[in-house]
Amino acid sequence: MELSNLALRLFQGGLGNLAAYLAAHVLLCLVPAFFVAGGLAALVPKEAVTRFLGRNTPRYISYPAAAAAGSLLAVCSCTIVPLFAGIYKKGAGLGPAITFLFIAPAANILALAYTGVAIGGDIALARIVLSWTFGIGIGMIMALIFRRDDVTHDEDTNDVFAMQAKVPARTWVFMLALVAILVFGTLKVGLLTNTYARLTLPIAGVDRFQAALYRLLPFDASKGEEGVSAQGVVMIVLLALTGISAWLGLDKVDQGFNRWTGLSLGLVVLTLLVAAVGMVPHADGLDVFLTGKLFGVMLALGVIAYLAKRSFDPFEIQQWLWESWRFVKQIFPLLVVGVFFVGVLRQIIRPEWIESLAGHNTLLGNMAGVVFGVFMYFPTLVEVPIANMFLSLGMHRGPLLAYLMSDPELSLQSILILSTIIGRFKAWTYVGWVALFSLLSGLLYGAWVDGTSLLLIILYLVGLLGVLAFGLTWAERRSRRAIVAGQTRTS
Amino acid sequence: MQVKILGIGCPKCKRLEELAREAARETGVEATFVKVTDVPSIMAYPILGTPALVINEQVKSAGRIPQKAEIVAWMKELEG
Repeated sequence: MELSNLALRLFQGGLGNLAAYLAAHVLLCLVPAFFVAGGLAALVPKEAVTRFLGRNTPRYISYPAAAAAGSLLAVCSCTIVPLFAGIYKKGAGLGPAITFLFIAPAANILALAYTGVAIGGDIALARIVLSWTFGIGIGMIMALIFRRDDVTHDEDTNDVFAMQAKVPARTWVFMLALVAILVFGTLKVGLLTNTYARLTLPIAGVDRFQAALYRLLPFDASKGEEGVSAQGVVMIVLLALTGISAWLGLDKVDQGFNRWTGLSLGLVVLTLLVAAVGMVPHADGLDVFLTGKLFGVMLALGVIAYLAKRSFDPFEIQQWLWESWRFVKQIFPLLVVGVFFVGVLRQIIRPEWIESLAGHNTLLGNMAGVVFGVFMYFPTLVEVPIANMFLSLGMHRGPLLAYLMSDPELSLQSILILSTIIGRFKAWTYVGWVALFSLLSGLLYGAWVDGTSLLLIILYLVGLLGVLAFGLTWAERRSRRAIVAGQTRTS
Repeated sequence: MQVKILGIGCPKCKRLEELAREAARETGVEATFVKVTDVPSIMAYPILGTPALVINEQVKSAGRIPQKAEIVAWMKELEG
Protein backbone atom coordinates (compact mmCIF):
# COMPACT_ATOMS: atom_id res chain seq x y z
CA MET A 1 0.00 0.00 0.00
CA GLU A 2 2.82 2.36 0.98
CA LEU A 3 4.69 1.56 -2.19
CA SER A 4 1.76 1.92 -4.57
CA ASN A 5 0.91 5.22 -2.93
CA LEU A 6 4.42 6.45 -3.52
CA ALA A 7 4.36 5.29 -7.15
CA LEU A 8 1.08 7.11 -7.68
CA ARG A 9 2.47 10.27 -6.14
CA LEU A 10 5.57 10.12 -8.34
CA PHE A 11 3.47 9.49 -11.44
CA GLN A 12 1.18 12.38 -10.56
CA GLY A 13 4.20 14.59 -10.01
CA GLY A 14 5.64 13.74 -13.42
CA LEU A 15 2.35 14.16 -15.22
CA GLY A 16 1.56 17.39 -13.44
CA ASN A 17 4.93 18.86 -14.31
CA LEU A 18 4.52 17.82 -17.92
CA ALA A 19 1.03 19.27 -18.22
CA ALA A 20 2.09 22.50 -16.54
CA TYR A 21 5.06 22.85 -18.84
CA LEU A 22 3.11 22.15 -21.99
CA ALA A 23 0.35 24.50 -21.00
CA ALA A 24 2.28 27.34 -19.45
CA HIS A 25 5.72 27.57 -20.94
CA VAL A 26 5.93 25.88 -24.23
CA LEU A 27 3.42 27.50 -26.45
CA LEU A 28 4.23 31.14 -26.77
CA CYS A 29 7.91 30.47 -26.44
CA LEU A 30 8.96 27.15 -27.90
CA VAL A 31 6.58 27.05 -30.84
CA PRO A 32 7.78 30.35 -32.31
CA ALA A 33 11.36 29.55 -31.24
CA PHE A 34 11.29 26.38 -33.35
CA PHE A 35 10.12 28.42 -36.32
CA VAL A 36 12.86 31.00 -35.74
CA ALA A 37 15.46 28.23 -35.57
CA GLY A 38 14.06 26.74 -38.78
CA GLY A 39 14.19 30.14 -40.45
CA LEU A 40 17.80 30.69 -39.42
CA ALA A 41 18.74 27.29 -40.80
CA ALA A 42 16.80 27.54 -44.05
CA LEU A 43 16.68 31.19 -45.05
CA VAL A 44 19.83 32.85 -43.73
CA PRO A 45 22.82 31.98 -45.94
CA LYS A 46 25.76 30.78 -43.83
CA GLU A 47 28.20 32.68 -46.02
CA ALA A 48 26.85 35.96 -44.64
CA VAL A 49 28.64 35.16 -41.38
CA THR A 50 31.36 32.73 -42.40
CA ARG A 51 33.04 35.28 -44.65
CA PHE A 52 34.25 36.93 -41.46
CA LEU A 53 35.89 33.74 -40.27
CA GLY A 54 38.70 33.43 -42.78
CA ARG A 55 42.36 33.17 -41.91
CA ASN A 56 43.13 36.77 -42.80
CA THR A 57 40.36 38.41 -40.82
CA PRO A 58 41.62 40.58 -37.97
CA ARG A 59 41.02 39.15 -34.51
CA TYR A 60 38.59 41.84 -33.36
CA ILE A 61 36.28 40.82 -36.19
CA SER A 62 36.78 37.07 -36.26
CA TYR A 63 36.02 36.45 -32.56
CA PRO A 64 32.70 38.33 -32.48
CA ALA A 65 31.82 36.78 -35.84
CA ALA A 66 32.48 33.34 -34.39
CA ALA A 67 30.25 34.20 -31.46
CA ALA A 68 27.51 35.38 -33.82
CA ALA A 69 27.84 32.21 -35.84
CA GLY A 70 27.41 30.21 -32.64
CA SER A 71 24.26 32.07 -31.68
CA LEU A 72 22.68 32.24 -35.11
CA LEU A 73 23.81 29.44 -37.37
CA ALA A 74 24.34 26.52 -35.12
CA VAL A 75 21.22 24.91 -33.90
CA CYS A 76 22.18 21.38 -34.83
CA SER A 77 25.27 19.21 -35.02
CA CYS A 78 25.06 19.15 -38.85
CA THR A 79 26.22 22.74 -38.75
CA ILE A 80 28.31 22.76 -35.61
CA VAL A 81 30.79 20.00 -36.36
CA PRO A 82 31.74 20.84 -39.98
CA LEU A 83 31.83 24.54 -39.31
CA PHE A 84 33.96 24.03 -36.22
CA ALA A 85 36.40 21.83 -38.09
CA GLY A 86 36.42 24.29 -40.99
CA ILE A 87 37.17 27.34 -38.88
CA TYR A 88 39.85 25.42 -37.01
CA LYS A 89 41.64 23.89 -39.98
CA LYS A 90 41.04 26.30 -42.81
CA GLY A 91 39.80 29.52 -41.32
CA ALA A 92 40.48 31.84 -38.46
CA GLY A 93 42.12 29.13 -36.35
CA LEU A 94 41.67 27.42 -33.02
CA GLY A 95 40.58 30.47 -31.00
CA PRO A 96 37.52 31.53 -32.99
CA ALA A 97 36.64 27.87 -33.57
CA ILE A 98 36.52 27.32 -29.81
CA THR A 99 34.49 30.50 -29.33
CA PHE A 100 32.00 29.20 -31.86
CA LEU A 101 31.85 25.78 -30.22
CA PHE A 102 31.38 27.24 -26.76
CA ILE A 103 28.56 29.55 -27.69
CA ALA A 104 26.58 27.27 -29.96
CA PRO A 105 24.85 25.08 -27.35
CA ALA A 106 24.33 27.72 -24.66
CA ALA A 107 23.31 30.85 -26.47
CA ASN A 108 21.26 29.71 -29.44
CA ILE A 109 17.77 31.02 -29.88
CA LEU A 110 15.99 27.87 -28.66
CA ALA A 111 17.96 27.64 -25.43
CA LEU A 112 17.64 31.36 -24.69
CA ALA A 113 13.92 31.63 -25.39
CA TYR A 114 13.20 28.59 -23.29
CA THR A 115 15.40 29.70 -20.40
CA GLY A 116 13.83 33.15 -20.44
CA VAL A 117 10.28 31.89 -20.23
CA ALA A 118 10.72 28.92 -17.93
CA ILE A 119 13.20 30.37 -15.44
CA GLY A 120 13.39 34.09 -15.98
CA GLY A 121 14.65 36.80 -18.29
CA ASP A 122 17.54 37.62 -15.94
CA ILE A 123 19.05 34.14 -16.22
CA ALA A 124 18.58 34.14 -20.00
CA LEU A 125 20.33 37.49 -20.25
CA ALA A 126 23.14 36.34 -17.97
CA ARG A 127 23.43 33.20 -20.07
CA ILE A 128 23.90 35.16 -23.29
CA VAL A 129 26.18 37.90 -21.93
CA LEU A 130 28.42 35.52 -20.01
CA SER A 131 28.61 32.89 -22.72
CA TRP A 132 29.61 35.57 -25.24
CA THR A 133 32.31 37.03 -23.00
CA PHE A 134 33.60 33.69 -21.78
CA GLY A 135 33.30 32.06 -25.19
CA ILE A 136 35.56 34.73 -26.59
CA GLY A 137 37.78 34.48 -23.50
CA ILE A 138 38.24 30.72 -23.72
CA GLY A 139 38.86 30.98 -27.46
CA MET A 140 41.64 33.47 -26.82
CA ILE A 141 43.17 31.37 -24.06
CA MET A 142 43.20 28.28 -26.23
CA ALA A 143 44.75 30.25 -29.08
CA LEU A 144 47.34 31.51 -26.64
CA ILE A 145 48.22 28.11 -25.19
CA PHE A 146 48.40 26.37 -28.54
CA ARG A 147 49.69 29.25 -30.61
CA ARG A 148 52.50 27.20 -32.14
CA ASP A 149 50.08 24.69 -33.69
CA ASP A 150 48.11 27.45 -35.28
CA VAL A 151 51.06 28.67 -37.27
CA THR A 152 51.30 25.38 -39.15
CA HIS A 153 47.72 25.70 -40.37
CA ASP A 154 48.47 28.77 -42.40
CA GLU A 155 49.23 26.82 -45.54
CA ASP A 156 45.93 24.99 -45.34
CA THR A 157 43.85 28.11 -45.88
CA ASN A 158 41.53 27.93 -48.83
CA ASP A 159 38.78 30.00 -50.28
CA VAL A 160 35.65 28.51 -48.68
CA PHE A 161 35.60 31.46 -46.33
CA ALA A 162 35.80 33.96 -49.17
CA MET A 163 32.30 33.13 -50.41
CA GLN A 164 30.02 36.08 -49.95
CA ALA A 165 26.31 36.29 -49.40
CA LYS A 166 23.94 38.99 -48.35
CA VAL A 167 20.87 38.50 -46.23
CA PRO A 168 18.03 39.98 -48.29
CA ALA A 169 15.75 42.59 -46.72
CA ARG A 170 12.70 40.32 -46.88
CA THR A 171 14.55 37.73 -44.79
CA TRP A 172 15.37 40.37 -42.18
CA VAL A 173 11.74 41.44 -41.89
CA PHE A 174 10.54 37.86 -41.87
CA MET A 175 12.94 36.81 -39.10
CA LEU A 176 12.13 39.93 -37.09
CA ALA A 177 8.42 39.16 -37.31
CA LEU A 178 9.08 35.63 -36.07
CA VAL A 179 11.13 36.93 -33.17
CA ALA A 180 8.37 39.46 -32.51
CA ILE A 181 5.89 36.63 -31.86
CA LEU A 182 8.29 35.28 -29.30
CA VAL A 183 8.73 38.67 -27.67
CA PHE A 184 5.06 39.68 -27.73
CA GLY A 185 4.05 36.33 -26.34
CA THR A 186 6.48 36.30 -23.46
CA LEU A 187 7.44 39.84 -22.52
CA LYS A 188 5.68 41.04 -19.39
CA VAL A 189 5.06 44.74 -19.94
CA GLY A 190 1.81 46.56 -19.38
CA LEU A 191 1.20 47.37 -23.01
CA LEU A 192 1.14 43.68 -23.84
CA THR A 193 -0.47 42.22 -20.74
CA ASN A 194 -3.25 44.80 -20.37
CA THR A 195 -6.71 43.76 -21.42
CA TYR A 196 -8.33 45.90 -24.07
CA ALA A 197 -11.61 44.06 -24.51
CA ARG A 198 -13.54 41.27 -22.86
CA LEU A 199 -15.77 38.65 -24.37
CA THR A 200 -18.00 36.36 -22.35
CA LEU A 201 -18.60 33.05 -24.02
CA PRO A 202 -21.72 31.26 -22.78
CA ILE A 203 -20.00 27.98 -22.08
CA ALA A 204 -21.08 26.62 -18.73
CA GLY A 205 -19.17 24.13 -16.65
CA VAL A 206 -15.66 25.29 -17.47
CA ASP A 207 -15.19 26.36 -13.86
CA ARG A 208 -16.18 22.92 -12.61
CA PHE A 209 -13.82 21.37 -15.15
CA GLN A 210 -10.98 23.53 -13.87
CA ALA A 211 -11.73 22.63 -10.25
CA ALA A 212 -11.68 18.96 -11.24
CA LEU A 213 -8.31 19.49 -12.91
CA TYR A 214 -6.85 20.99 -9.79
CA ARG A 215 -8.03 17.96 -7.81
CA LEU A 216 -6.66 15.53 -10.38
CA LEU A 217 -3.23 17.12 -10.57
CA PRO A 218 -2.72 18.67 -7.17
CA PHE A 219 -0.02 21.28 -6.92
CA ASP A 220 1.69 23.25 -4.23
CA ALA A 221 2.38 26.80 -5.31
CA SER A 222 4.78 27.32 -2.41
CA LYS A 223 7.01 24.56 -3.79
CA GLY A 224 7.07 26.20 -7.19
CA GLU A 225 4.67 23.71 -8.75
CA GLU A 226 2.11 24.91 -11.21
CA GLY A 227 -1.43 23.77 -11.75
CA VAL A 228 -3.14 23.11 -15.06
CA SER A 229 -5.96 25.44 -16.02
CA ALA A 230 -8.83 24.80 -18.40
CA GLN A 231 -7.05 27.03 -20.92
CA GLY A 232 -4.00 24.84 -20.47
CA VAL A 233 -6.01 21.78 -21.40
CA VAL A 234 -7.34 23.48 -24.55
CA MET A 235 -3.75 24.29 -25.50
CA ILE A 236 -2.50 20.78 -24.82
CA VAL A 237 -5.25 19.38 -27.04
CA LEU A 238 -4.43 21.88 -29.78
CA LEU A 239 -0.76 21.01 -29.46
CA ALA A 240 -1.48 17.31 -29.84
CA LEU A 241 -3.64 17.95 -32.92
CA THR A 242 -0.91 20.16 -34.38
CA GLY A 243 1.59 17.39 -33.79
CA ILE A 244 -0.50 14.82 -35.65
CA SER A 245 -1.30 17.07 -38.59
CA ALA A 246 2.30 18.27 -38.80
CA TRP A 247 3.46 14.67 -39.03
CA LEU A 248 1.34 14.27 -42.13
CA GLY A 249 1.75 17.77 -43.49
CA LEU A 250 5.30 18.86 -42.75
CA ASP A 251 7.37 15.69 -42.76
CA LYS A 252 7.89 15.76 -46.54
CA VAL A 253 7.00 19.41 -47.07
CA ASP A 254 10.34 20.03 -48.79
CA GLN A 255 8.90 18.26 -51.82
CA GLY A 256 5.61 20.12 -51.90
CA PHE A 257 2.67 21.29 -49.82
CA ASN A 258 -0.27 19.02 -49.19
CA ARG A 259 -3.68 19.33 -47.55
CA TRP A 260 -2.32 18.60 -44.10
CA THR A 261 0.26 21.37 -44.36
CA GLY A 262 -2.47 24.01 -44.39
CA LEU A 263 -4.30 22.34 -41.52
CA SER A 264 -1.24 22.08 -39.32
CA LEU A 265 -0.25 25.68 -39.96
CA GLY A 266 -3.80 26.77 -39.18
CA LEU A 267 -3.61 24.86 -35.91
CA VAL A 268 -0.29 26.46 -35.01
CA VAL A 269 -1.80 29.90 -35.56
CA LEU A 270 -4.87 28.99 -33.52
CA THR A 271 -2.70 27.67 -30.67
CA LEU A 272 -0.65 30.84 -30.61
CA LEU A 273 -3.80 32.96 -30.51
CA VAL A 274 -5.46 30.90 -27.77
CA ALA A 275 -2.27 31.09 -25.73
CA ALA A 276 -2.21 34.87 -26.10
CA VAL A 277 -5.63 35.53 -24.61
CA GLY A 278 -6.53 35.36 -20.94
CA MET A 279 -9.32 33.04 -19.87
CA VAL A 280 -11.19 33.03 -16.59
CA PRO A 281 -14.04 30.57 -16.13
CA HIS A 282 -16.91 31.37 -13.77
CA ALA A 283 -20.32 30.02 -12.98
CA ASP A 284 -22.20 31.38 -16.01
CA GLY A 285 -19.59 31.21 -18.68
CA LEU A 286 -16.09 31.83 -19.79
CA ASP A 287 -14.52 35.28 -19.82
CA VAL A 288 -12.01 35.78 -22.61
CA PHE A 289 -9.68 38.75 -22.20
CA LEU A 290 -8.27 40.22 -25.39
CA THR A 291 -4.83 41.36 -24.33
CA GLY A 292 -2.23 43.51 -26.03
CA LYS A 293 -0.32 40.26 -26.52
CA LEU A 294 -3.06 38.95 -28.79
CA PHE A 295 -2.94 42.01 -31.05
CA GLY A 296 0.84 41.93 -31.17
CA VAL A 297 0.89 38.25 -32.11
CA MET A 298 -1.83 38.82 -34.73
CA LEU A 299 0.14 41.66 -36.29
CA ALA A 300 3.35 39.61 -36.46
CA LEU A 301 1.48 36.62 -37.91
CA GLY A 302 -0.03 38.90 -40.54
CA VAL A 303 3.39 40.16 -41.60
CA ILE A 304 4.73 36.61 -41.77
CA ALA A 305 1.80 35.33 -43.83
CA TYR A 306 2.02 38.26 -46.23
CA LEU A 307 5.76 37.90 -46.78
CA ALA A 308 5.58 34.12 -47.11
CA LYS A 309 3.01 34.46 -49.85
CA ARG A 310 4.36 37.50 -51.70
CA SER A 311 8.11 37.79 -51.32
CA PHE A 312 9.43 34.26 -50.91
CA ASP A 313 9.81 31.44 -53.32
CA PRO A 314 7.50 28.54 -52.34
CA PHE A 315 10.58 26.33 -52.14
CA GLU A 316 12.14 28.60 -49.52
CA ILE A 317 8.99 28.44 -47.44
CA GLN A 318 8.93 24.67 -47.77
CA GLN A 319 12.53 24.51 -46.61
CA TRP A 320 11.72 26.75 -43.67
CA LEU A 321 8.78 24.61 -42.59
CA TRP A 322 10.73 21.43 -43.05
CA GLU A 323 13.65 22.66 -40.95
CA SER A 324 11.34 23.89 -38.21
CA TRP A 325 9.52 20.58 -38.10
CA ARG A 326 12.80 18.70 -38.06
CA PHE A 327 13.84 20.60 -34.93
CA VAL A 328 10.54 19.79 -33.29
CA LYS A 329 10.87 16.12 -34.17
CA GLN A 330 14.43 15.97 -32.93
CA ILE A 331 14.06 17.88 -29.68
CA PHE A 332 10.48 17.77 -28.51
CA PRO A 333 10.05 14.05 -27.69
CA LEU A 334 13.18 14.03 -25.52
CA LEU A 335 12.06 17.22 -23.86
CA VAL A 336 8.69 15.73 -22.99
CA VAL A 337 10.31 12.65 -21.45
CA GLY A 338 12.80 14.86 -19.63
CA VAL A 339 10.14 17.14 -18.16
CA PHE A 340 8.17 14.13 -16.95
CA PHE A 341 11.17 12.72 -15.11
CA VAL A 342 12.00 16.08 -13.64
CA GLY A 343 8.48 16.08 -12.17
CA VAL A 344 9.11 12.64 -10.68
CA LEU A 345 12.48 13.66 -9.25
CA ARG A 346 10.87 16.75 -7.80
CA GLN A 347 8.92 14.51 -5.45
CA ILE A 348 12.01 12.68 -4.24
CA ILE A 349 14.68 15.35 -3.74
CA ARG A 350 14.46 17.09 -0.39
CA PRO A 351 14.80 20.88 -0.48
CA GLU A 352 17.16 20.71 2.53
CA TRP A 353 19.77 18.88 0.46
CA ILE A 354 19.85 21.53 -2.23
CA GLU A 355 19.54 24.30 0.32
CA SER A 356 22.56 23.18 2.30
CA LEU A 357 24.72 22.45 -0.75
CA ALA A 358 23.94 25.33 -3.07
CA GLY A 359 21.52 27.57 -1.27
CA HIS A 360 24.02 30.40 -1.16
CA ASN A 361 26.48 31.87 -3.62
CA THR A 362 29.52 30.07 -2.23
CA LEU A 363 32.51 28.58 -4.00
CA LEU A 364 31.38 25.11 -2.94
CA GLY A 365 27.85 25.72 -4.17
CA ASN A 366 29.07 26.89 -7.55
CA MET A 367 31.44 23.95 -7.76
CA ALA A 368 28.57 21.60 -7.07
CA GLY A 369 26.66 23.23 -9.94
CA VAL A 370 29.57 22.80 -12.34
CA VAL A 371 30.34 19.23 -11.35
CA PHE A 372 26.72 18.24 -11.77
CA GLY A 373 26.72 19.92 -15.16
CA VAL A 374 29.89 18.17 -16.33
CA PHE A 375 28.97 14.68 -15.23
CA MET A 376 25.30 14.68 -16.12
CA TYR A 377 24.24 14.56 -19.68
CA PHE A 378 20.77 15.68 -20.65
CA PRO A 379 19.32 16.03 -24.14
CA THR A 380 19.13 19.52 -25.64
CA LEU A 381 16.95 21.91 -23.63
CA VAL A 382 16.20 19.42 -20.84
CA GLU A 383 18.75 21.32 -18.74
CA VAL A 384 16.17 24.08 -18.47
CA PRO A 385 13.40 22.24 -16.59
CA ILE A 386 16.10 20.63 -14.44
CA ALA A 387 17.49 24.03 -13.55
CA ASN A 388 13.98 25.24 -12.84
CA MET A 389 13.46 22.35 -10.45
CA PHE A 390 16.68 23.19 -8.60
CA LEU A 391 15.58 26.80 -8.37
CA SER A 392 12.25 25.88 -6.82
CA LEU A 393 14.06 23.59 -4.39
CA GLY A 394 16.05 26.54 -3.10
CA MET A 395 19.20 26.71 -5.20
CA HIS A 396 20.80 30.13 -5.38
CA ARG A 397 20.75 31.73 -8.83
CA GLY A 398 24.56 31.86 -8.94
CA PRO A 399 25.20 28.10 -8.71
CA LEU A 400 22.17 27.67 -10.95
CA LEU A 401 23.86 29.66 -13.70
CA ALA A 402 27.12 27.77 -13.12
CA TYR A 403 25.18 24.59 -13.80
CA LEU A 404 23.41 26.07 -16.84
CA MET A 405 26.71 27.18 -18.34
CA SER A 406 28.53 23.89 -17.90
CA ASP A 407 25.81 21.36 -18.67
CA PRO A 408 25.16 22.05 -22.36
CA GLU A 409 28.82 22.81 -23.07
CA LEU A 410 30.24 19.62 -21.81
CA SER A 411 28.85 16.26 -22.60
CA LEU A 412 30.75 13.11 -23.34
CA GLN A 413 29.55 13.22 -26.91
CA SER A 414 30.82 16.72 -27.57
CA ILE A 415 34.17 15.99 -25.91
CA LEU A 416 34.62 12.94 -28.14
CA ILE A 417 33.87 14.86 -31.33
CA LEU A 418 36.17 17.59 -30.15
CA SER A 419 39.07 15.16 -29.55
CA THR A 420 38.80 13.67 -33.03
CA ILE A 421 39.19 17.12 -34.54
CA ILE A 422 41.69 18.92 -32.34
CA GLY A 423 43.28 16.06 -30.42
CA ARG A 424 42.73 14.74 -26.93
CA PHE A 425 45.09 17.05 -25.06
CA LYS A 426 43.55 20.21 -26.48
CA ALA A 427 40.05 18.87 -25.90
CA TRP A 428 40.67 18.25 -22.20
CA THR A 429 42.36 21.61 -21.81
CA TYR A 430 39.19 23.11 -23.22
CA VAL A 431 37.07 21.12 -20.78
CA GLY A 432 39.14 22.44 -17.89
CA TRP A 433 38.70 26.03 -18.98
CA VAL A 434 34.99 25.62 -19.49
CA ALA A 435 34.61 24.23 -15.99
CA LEU A 436 36.62 27.11 -14.54
CA PHE A 437 34.73 29.75 -16.46
CA SER A 438 31.34 28.25 -15.60
CA LEU A 439 32.37 28.48 -11.98
CA LEU A 440 33.35 32.11 -12.49
CA SER A 441 30.11 32.98 -14.23
CA GLY A 442 28.14 31.45 -11.41
CA LEU A 443 30.12 33.39 -8.79
CA LEU A 444 29.88 36.68 -10.69
CA TYR A 445 26.20 36.36 -11.44
CA GLY A 446 25.49 35.21 -7.90
CA ALA A 447 27.35 38.24 -6.58
CA TRP A 448 25.19 40.46 -8.77
CA VAL A 449 22.01 38.80 -7.50
CA ASP A 450 23.26 39.37 -3.95
CA GLY A 451 23.69 43.06 -4.63
CA THR A 452 27.20 43.74 -5.92
CA SER A 453 27.03 46.66 -8.31
CA LEU A 454 26.82 45.89 -12.00
CA LEU A 455 29.58 48.35 -12.78
CA LEU A 456 32.04 46.45 -10.62
CA ILE A 457 31.15 43.16 -12.29
CA ILE A 458 31.48 44.62 -15.77
CA LEU A 459 34.81 46.03 -14.68
CA TYR A 460 35.94 42.55 -13.61
CA LEU A 461 34.85 41.11 -16.93
CA VAL A 462 36.46 43.81 -19.05
CA GLY A 463 39.65 43.58 -17.03
CA LEU A 464 39.79 39.83 -17.48
CA LEU A 465 39.29 40.05 -21.23
CA GLY A 466 41.75 42.91 -21.51
CA VAL A 467 44.49 40.90 -19.82
CA LEU A 468 43.76 37.99 -22.14
CA ALA A 469 43.81 40.10 -25.30
CA PHE A 470 47.04 41.74 -24.21
CA GLY A 471 48.67 38.40 -23.40
CA LEU A 472 47.67 36.98 -26.74
CA THR A 473 49.01 39.92 -28.75
CA TRP A 474 52.23 39.91 -26.77
CA ALA A 475 52.79 36.18 -27.20
CA GLU A 476 52.08 36.42 -30.90
CA ARG A 477 54.57 39.23 -31.39
CA ARG A 478 57.15 37.24 -29.51
CA SER A 479 56.63 34.06 -31.48
CA ARG A 480 56.64 35.98 -34.76
CA ARG A 481 59.90 37.59 -33.77
CA ALA A 482 61.26 34.16 -32.86
CA ILE A 483 60.24 32.83 -36.28
CA VAL A 484 61.80 35.77 -38.06
CA ALA A 485 64.95 35.36 -35.97
CA GLY A 486 65.03 31.65 -36.82
CA GLN A 487 64.70 32.41 -40.51
CA THR A 488 67.51 34.94 -40.54
CA ARG A 489 69.72 32.53 -38.66
CA THR A 490 69.16 29.71 -41.15
CA SER A 491 69.61 31.88 -44.23
CA MET B 1 28.49 7.81 -61.71
CA GLN B 2 29.60 8.08 -58.13
CA VAL B 3 27.41 9.95 -55.69
CA LYS B 4 28.84 10.84 -52.28
CA ILE B 5 26.75 12.06 -49.40
CA LEU B 6 28.85 13.90 -46.84
CA GLY B 7 27.39 14.19 -43.36
CA ILE B 8 27.85 12.96 -39.84
CA GLY B 9 24.52 11.17 -39.77
CA CYS B 10 21.99 13.84 -38.98
CA PRO B 11 18.38 13.69 -40.24
CA LYS B 12 19.21 16.11 -43.04
CA CYS B 13 21.84 13.75 -44.43
CA LYS B 14 19.36 10.90 -44.56
CA ARG B 15 16.88 13.10 -46.36
CA LEU B 16 19.51 14.12 -48.90
CA GLU B 17 20.41 10.50 -49.56
CA GLU B 18 16.74 9.63 -50.09
CA LEU B 19 16.36 12.46 -52.59
CA ALA B 20 19.57 11.60 -54.42
CA ARG B 21 18.48 7.98 -54.77
CA GLU B 22 15.08 9.05 -56.09
CA ALA B 23 16.77 11.43 -58.51
CA ALA B 24 19.06 8.68 -59.76
CA ARG B 25 16.06 6.43 -60.32
CA GLU B 26 14.24 9.15 -62.25
CA THR B 27 17.22 9.93 -64.43
CA GLY B 28 17.96 6.28 -64.94
CA VAL B 29 21.70 6.64 -64.40
CA GLU B 30 23.88 3.92 -62.99
CA ALA B 31 24.97 5.38 -59.68
CA THR B 32 26.91 4.04 -56.75
CA PHE B 33 26.23 5.72 -53.43
CA VAL B 34 28.91 6.35 -50.85
CA LYS B 35 28.20 7.80 -47.43
CA VAL B 36 31.10 9.74 -45.97
CA THR B 37 30.63 10.13 -42.23
CA ASP B 38 34.01 10.80 -40.63
CA VAL B 39 34.94 14.40 -40.07
CA PRO B 40 38.48 14.41 -41.56
CA SER B 41 37.29 12.93 -44.87
CA ILE B 42 34.39 15.38 -44.98
CA MET B 43 36.70 18.30 -44.35
CA ALA B 44 38.89 17.22 -47.26
CA TYR B 45 36.22 18.84 -49.43
CA PRO B 46 35.94 22.63 -49.54
CA ILE B 47 32.67 22.86 -47.62
CA LEU B 48 31.50 24.43 -44.38
CA GLY B 49 28.19 22.74 -43.83
CA THR B 50 26.71 19.32 -44.16
CA PRO B 51 24.89 17.61 -45.72
CA ALA B 52 26.85 17.98 -48.90
CA LEU B 53 26.34 16.26 -52.22
CA VAL B 54 29.36 15.30 -54.28
CA ILE B 55 28.85 13.82 -57.74
CA ASN B 56 31.90 12.44 -59.56
CA GLU B 57 34.09 14.32 -57.05
CA GLN B 58 32.44 17.68 -57.80
CA VAL B 59 30.80 19.41 -54.84
CA LYS B 60 27.28 20.17 -56.00
CA SER B 61 25.67 21.45 -52.82
CA ALA B 62 26.68 21.99 -49.21
CA GLY B 63 24.89 22.98 -46.06
CA ARG B 64 21.45 22.63 -47.56
CA ILE B 65 19.13 20.13 -49.12
CA PRO B 66 18.66 20.82 -52.81
CA GLN B 67 15.42 20.24 -54.67
CA LYS B 68 15.08 16.90 -56.37
CA ALA B 69 14.86 18.68 -59.75
CA GLU B 70 18.25 20.27 -59.13
CA ILE B 71 19.85 16.91 -58.39
CA VAL B 72 18.27 15.44 -61.52
CA ALA B 73 19.70 18.30 -63.58
CA TRP B 74 23.21 17.79 -62.13
CA MET B 75 23.06 14.08 -62.83
CA LYS B 76 21.93 14.64 -66.42
CA GLU B 77 24.65 17.21 -66.99
CA LEU B 78 27.41 14.95 -65.72
CA GLU B 79 26.00 11.94 -67.53
CA GLY B 80 26.00 13.57 -70.99
